[in-house]
Amino acid sequence: MLSSKKLIVLLALFTLLLGSAALAQDDGLKLTGWPYEVDVVTENLGRFTEQSGHDAVFLPFPSNEYRDKMVASFVAGTEFDVAYVRDSYLAEWAAAGWILPISGLEGADELLADLPAGIIEQMSYEGEVYGLPYYSGVQTMAYNAAHLAAAGIEAPPATWDEMLEQAQMIKDAGVVDYPILMQLRSGENYLLREWETLTAARGGRLFDDDFNPLFQEEGSAAWEALDWLTQGLDMGVIDPASITDDDGTLLMMAGTTSFMTTTDYTLKAMNDPEQSNAAGDIKNALIPGTDEVRSGTWGYVRLYSITNNASDKDAAWQLVQFLGGKDATGVYFVPKRWALEFGLGFSPAPLYEDEEVRNSISGWIDPDLLSEQSEYAISRPYRFVPFFSDWEIGSWGPLQAAILGDADKGEVLAELADEWNELKEDWDY
Amino acid sequence: MLAILFSAPAVIIIAATILVPFGIAVFLSLHKWNLKRPGRERFIGLENYTDWLTDSDFWQPLQTTFIFAIGAVLVIVIISLLVALLLNEKFPGRGLLRALLLVPWAIPSVVNALLWKWLLNPQYGLFNAIWYDLGIITEYQNVLGSMPSVMIWLVIAYSWIHIPLATLLLLSGLQTIPGDIYESAIVDGAGIFQRFLYITLPMLRSMLSIVIIFEMIFALKVFDIIFVLTAGGPADATNVLGWTIYTETFRKLDFGAGSSIAMLLGAITLGMAILFYVFLDRGVEQ
Amino acid sequence: MHQHSRLRLTIIYCCAAVLLIGTVGPFLWLVSSSFQYERQLLNRPPQWLPNPIVLDSYREIFEGAILGEESGVPYQSRIFLGSFGNSFAIAGSVAVIAVVVGSLAAYPLARLNFRGRNVLLFGILASRLIPALSLAIPIVLVAKQIGMSDRLITLVFINLSFVLPYVIWLLQSYFKTIPMELEDAGRIDGCSRLQVVIKIILPLARPGLTSAAILAFLVAWGEFLFALLLSETPASYTSTVVVSLFATDVDVSFVSIITAGVVSVIPPIVFALIFQRYIISGLLSGSLKG
Repeated sequence: MLSSKKLIVLLALFTLLLGSAALAQDDGLKLTGWPYEVDVVTENLGRFTEQSGHDAVFLPFPSNEYRDKMVASFVAGTEFDVAYVRDSYLAEWAAAGWILPISGLEGADELLADLPAGIIEQMSYEGEVYGLPYYSGVQTMAYNAAHLAAAGIEAPPATWDEMLEQAQMIKDAGVVDYPILMQLRSGENYLLREWETLTAARGGRLFDDDFNPLFQEEGSAAWEALDWLTQGLDMGVIDPASITDDDGTLLMMAGTTSFMTTTDYTLKAMNDPEQSNAAGDIKNALIPGTDEVRSGTWGYVRLYSITNNASDKDAAWQLVQFLGGKDATGVYFVPKRWALEFGLGFSPAPLYEDEEVRNSISGWIDPDLLSEQSEYAISRPYRFVPFFSDWEIGSWGPLQAAILGDADKGEVLAELADEWNELKEDWDY
Repeated sequence: MLAILFSAPAVIIIAATILVPFGIAVFLSLHKWNLKRPGRERFIGLENYTDWLTDSDFWQPLQTTFIFAIGAVLVIVIISLLVALLLNEKFPGRGLLRALLLVPWAIPSVVNALLWKWLLNPQYGLFNAIWYDLGIITEYQNVLGSMPSVMIWLVIAYSWIHIPLATLLLLSGLQTIPGDIYESAIVDGAGIFQRFLYITLPMLRSMLSIVIIFEMIFALKVFDIIFVLTAGGPADATNVLGWTIYTETFRKLDFGAGSSIAMLLGAITLGMAILFYVFLDRGVEQ
Repeated sequence: MHQHSRLRLTIIYCCAAVLLIGTVGPFLWLVSSSFQYERQLLNRPPQWLPNPIVLDSYREIFEGAILGEESGVPYQSRIFLGSFGNSFAIAGSVAVIAVVVGSLAAYPLARLNFRGRNVLLFGILASRLIPALSLAIPIVLVAKQIGMSDRLITLVFINLSFVLPYVIWLLQSYFKTIPMELEDAGRIDGCSRLQVVIKIILPLARPGLTSAAILAFLVAWGEFLFALLLSETPASYTSTVVVSLFATDVDVSFVSIITAGVVSVIPPIVFALIFQRYIISGLLSGSLKG
C-alpha cells in the first residue's frame, strides 16, 4: 500500500508535470489544417513572415478527425485565423458563417482570374468565393498494367462493359480474385463519389442545375450505374469488400486489385517502391465511358479560408494570398512548391505551362492523360447547398441495399428523390 | 451528513465537469438548432423527442444497438469470467500474464482500428490468410460485407478491447473470497463445478453485476469500432444509435436532433442499469 | 498429490497459452509490423516476421525526440515522445485523485444506510449515460468560455469525471465485502470514521484500489476525443493525438502509426506491472497487517 507520504510526492510530481506544459500564447496568425508535411508548411510561413512582417504559426490536427475537431472549435470560438477546408464541407461551414468570403477583397479578382471556372465553382457558396486553392485535381482511373499483360490484354478498357470483360479475363487467368474495386462504403469519401463518377462517365448527372434529382428516372445514367455495380458484383469481378473497404489504394498497392477509380495524387503512393508492392505497374487511364460517351469525372479542391474569428482579417487575407496565390514577388511560390516537390495538383493557369512542374509528376502519372481526364470533369453545383450532406448521410444505407440487390432500385431511388425534394423545399432552394 | 462530506469531492468534480454541458445538451434537445441555419434557432419543447420516437431512424438503430450490446456483454462477461478464474489460480508467471492481459486495452484506439482493419481485410488480411492455410476457407472472405458475420466480428473486435477491464474487475472481486471456504468445501468433497456454482458465483455476484452493468453501459454507447470498421454499413446493418448521434451532431450539424437522441439513449441506458441493478445486485443483499 | 498438481499446472499453462495467443497475439503482429517496410504490410500471404529487421520508425521517434529539428525526421515523429509527458501527467494525476476521491465517496455508499443512497449511486452513474460525443461540444464550449481550453488540468478533470463513477461503483462494491467486525473493532479503539477508512478499510481493499487505479490510468492514457477537441497548440497534445497525426490526408505512414502504438502500450503495462502485486495480496494478508 502506498503510504500517504508517497502519495503526496506523487501528486506533487504530477502537478509539476501538468504545470510544465507551457501555454504557448502567440499573437501571430494561426493557420490550422491536416498535418501533411508540417515542416514544409512552417518553412513557407517563415517566408511569409519575412515578406509581410506578420508572424504565423501552423497548428496541425489529425486528418481523419479534422472536420470534427474544427466543428467543435468553431462552435466554441476558434483561435485559428486561417484554416484548410475541403470542398465537401465548404457549403456547411459557409452556411454556418464559420468561414468568410474573399470575393471583393483587394487583389482577389486578379488571383481568381487565373483559376479555371470549375475550381472557382467548387470554392463557392451562394455566389461568393470562400478561399484560394491549396491543392486540387480530378478523379481518374488507375489500373495495374502487369495484371492486364498477364491476362493478355493490350489496352485498358474504354467502356464500362469492356472493364467487366477484362476483369473476367484477369479473374479467369487466375491473376487476382477480384479485379475491380469500387469504393461503396458509407462515408462522404466513398459511395456517393463513386456513384457520381460512374454516372458522369455515362454522360449523366445526379441532379440538374436547378437542383432537381435526375437519378430516379428509369434509364437514367445514375440508375444504369447502379445496375452496372450489381452486375459486376454478381459476376464476381467487383470485389465484395467494396461495400466496406475504406482504402482501396492499399489494395492497388498490395497488387490484389487491377482497376479502381481514384484521386490523382494517390498514384504517387501506388508507384512508390517503399510503400507499394505494385510500384511501377500502376498506370492512369481515362475513366471508361460508354459507346457514346468517352469519359467523365469530377474535380476536388482543398482550400485555404479565413475563419470568422480571425482577429486581423487583413493579415489573414495576406496569408491566404501567399499560400493559395502569389507571394510578395508576384509568383505562385507555395502552389508551385507543392506541385514541384510533392506532386500535389495545382489550379492556377500559369502553372499548367510550367515545364518543371510537368516533368516532376511524369514519374508516377501520365500528365497528358491526366489533363485530358480533367476536360471531362462535370460540375456538381448540388454539392454546394447546405443540405447536401443531410441527404447524403441518409442515402448510404438504401443505396448499398439497392446495389447488393436487397432492395428494389426503383423504390430506393424514388424515395431518395423524395427525401431530396423535401429538404430542398425546407431550405427554400 | 458524513455521507455528504465524504462524497463531496467526487460529486463536485463530476458536477463541475458535466453539469453545465449536460444542461446545454438538454437545452439544445428542446430546440430546433441547426448550426447551418444561424438565426433560426427556436424552442420547440419535446418535438425533437416525439420526432425521433415516431421515426424508424430511431427504432431501427435502437434494435441494432441492443443486438450488439447483448452479444458483446455476453461474450465479454463469459470470457472474462473464465480468464479471471484462470488468473486467480496460483502459478508461476501469473503476474506477468495479468499485466499482459491489459495489452488490448492499452493500445491507442487509432492503432486498434488499424489492427482490426488489417486482421479482417479480405486481401492482405491476417485472418483470411490463416483460415486459408488451415483449409477452413477456399476463397478469401469479406466478413464485414454481410449479415450476420459483420455483427459477429464487430462484437469480437469490440470484446477483445473490453475483456481486459472486465477481467480486471472480476479478478479483484475474486480476491474477496476467502481461501478457507474452498478448502473446507474440498474436504466436504465438492468438485470443481460445484465449488464454482455454490461458492464462487454467489460470492462474486456483486462484482459480476457491476461488470454486467458497466459493460452494458459501454456497449449501448458503442461508436468507435463502428466508425472505423463499417461506418454503419453494409446497408445500415450496423447503424447503431452511437453512430446516428455522431452523424446528426457532427455531420448534419443538427444539434437539436443529435442531443435529443443522445438523451433518449441515456434514458434507455439508465433504465437498463436500474433494471440490472435491481435484478442482480439487490439479490445479494436480501 | 504431486501428480495432481503436475496435471493442474499443465491445464493451467494450456489455458494460459490460449489466452496469450488471443490477447497478445494480435499485438505481436503489430510489433512485427513495426520492424517492417511499409510495403511489406501489404504482402499476401502476410509477412509474419520482419525480414529484414527495419529499425527506421523507432530510430525516427527516438532521434527526433532527442535531436529535434536537426534530426531531419518528420514532425510527427519528433513530437511523439514529448507528448508522453502530457499523457503521463494526465493519466497519473487521474489515477491518484480518482482512487483517493473515489474511495472517500465509496465508503458511505458501502457502509452507511442513509436516505438517498441509491439516488446518489445512480446519480453518479447517470453522469456517464449520455454518450461523450453529445457532451463533447458543450464541454469544449464551456472550457473555452472559462479560459480552460488547451490546458492539461482540464483534461484531468474531464477524465476524472469519466472514471470516477466507475471507480466509485467498483470500490463501494469492494468495501461491502470487508467484514464489518474489523471496522467495529477499530471504532471501539476510538478511531474516527476517516481514520477507520484510512487505517482499516483502505489496506484491506488493496486489490480493489489497485484495479481502480489501473482502470483510471488506462482510461486517461487512452483518451482521445477530448484530448483532440480541447488542444489548440502542440504543447498540449497527448500521445493519442500525436499517433493520429501520422495520417495526413495525402499519405499515411502505417509503420509509423504502428510503431507509435507499440511504444504507447509500454507505459500503461509498466504501470500495471508495478501495481499488479497489490492485487495479488488478498484479504488475509491485509487483515494480518491491518
